[in-house]
Amino acid sequence: MYHFVTAAVTHENAEHSVGLFQALGLNGTLLIENTLAFLVFVAVLAKFVYPALMKAVDARREAIETGLREAKESHKAAEKAQSQVAEVLEAARKDADDIIARSHQEATLMVAEAEEKAKSRAEQIVADARQQLDNDVRKAREALKRDTVELVALATERVIGEKLDDKKDAALVKKALAGEKA
Amino acid sequence: MSLSIVAESAPHISIAPETLFHIGPLLITNSQLLGLLGGVLAFTVLWSTARAFKNGTAGRFAHLIMWAFESLYDTTVEVIGDTKIAKKVVPLAITLVFFFVINNWLGLLPIVGSITYGEAPLLRGAAADLNVTVALAVISIVTAQLWAMKRRGIFGNLGRYFVNPFKDPLHAFEGILEFVAEFTRTAALALRIFGNVFGGEVLLGVIGFLTGYASVVALPIFYSLELFVGAVQGYVFFMLTIAFISLGLPGEEDAHGHEPAKGDKPESVPEEA
Repeated sequence: MYHFVTAAVTHENAEHSVGLFQALGLNGTLLIENTLAFLVFVAVLAKFVYPALMKAVDARREAIETGLREAKESHKAAEKAQSQVAEVLEAARKDADDIIARSHQEATLMVAEAEEKAKSRAEQIVADARQQLDNDVRKAREALKRDTVELVALATERVIGEKLDDKKDAALVKKALAGEKA
Repeated sequence: MSLSIVAESAPHISIAPETLFHIGPLLITNSQLLGLLGGVLAFTVLWSTARAFKNGTAGRFAHLIMWAFESLYDTTVEVIGDTKIAKKVVPLAITLVFFFVINNWLGLLPIVGSITYGEAPLLRGAAADLNVTVALAVISIVTAQLWAMKRRGIFGNLGRYFVNPFKDPLHAFEGILEFVAEFTRTAALALRIFGNVFGGEVLLGVIGFLTGYASVVALPIFYSLELFVGAVQGYVFFMLTIAFISLGLPGEEDAHGHEPAKGDKPESVPEEA
């Protein structure tokens, strides 16, 4: 009895399952056909289409990566060049500062030297002028003295009425001096 | 059987695909016919894109297809986590997207359902046939299982489901749930896209029938929605396929994670994983 009931239930379930599958339109032959057809379709695409597409994707990625790498390297090179330019500019600025400082120093020295030279030259000129003046004064005095002596002699000649020579002149001078002392 | 291009007055609703003819023992259905057209179109689109890029004559359309391909490729690599495996999974995963999206969109063309061959519509959306969606879901799940077995070994993969309940009852229960989940995943994967696409086609038929002449205003809204649903469902199928494959692969926690209970045979984790 038990076996009979179990068999009946199993049979009923199987019929129900077949009915459900039929209602859903499921068919074993179609399932196998569709499975095989799709696997063949995938195989054909995998053989003839996808390798080329993947290759194109890989090539594009490689190109992008290469571009990025080159851009990175260019950026690095540009940065390096910029730093080099900055270094050169800094060195040039330093050199320029040194040159300017040296020029200032040299200019100051030159001015000081020129001033010194001018001063000494002026002093020389003043000293020379002073010397010249002294000489001129001395000469003028000597000339004046000589003229005075000559005038005195001439006046004395006129006073005494005789020609005076050096001896007489000297004797007169002595006499005059003696009279002065007394 | 006669060919007719006159639309029926009421929408033709049939869950099962109609057999158009036989080639020997093989049945040829209307969904297979549109599936074949979609497949040829998908192949042409992908092949012409590959050719255009190879020859350096890629236009906007080729770039659009390449963008889609590259995005799907990247997603596959990201989800799988291993470029080597991802490259092997890509053909199946990306074919699923292109096949479903193109077929779902082809299924929205007015010629689908309106041209009849004998009593039956000549064309029917491929994803509106459970035989197609179940077949593709089975392929996805079997592929995931094959990858799991390849990376973990046959016993290592079985170890995910069958754990000694006396040693680790929690993991034993979890394993049983996981085992059942493999079947429910297959069913869900197949029924989700079938339900959406078949429902969408029925919805369009019903809206067109109910709105009559106003259908020129009403239908474009639903067509836009169905275009979106068709693309999303294709993408969802793709994402779930690669997610299931990824789940089967040994991860970090398998290599360093929970310590197996005493006496349990540890899962075989390949070195490269």
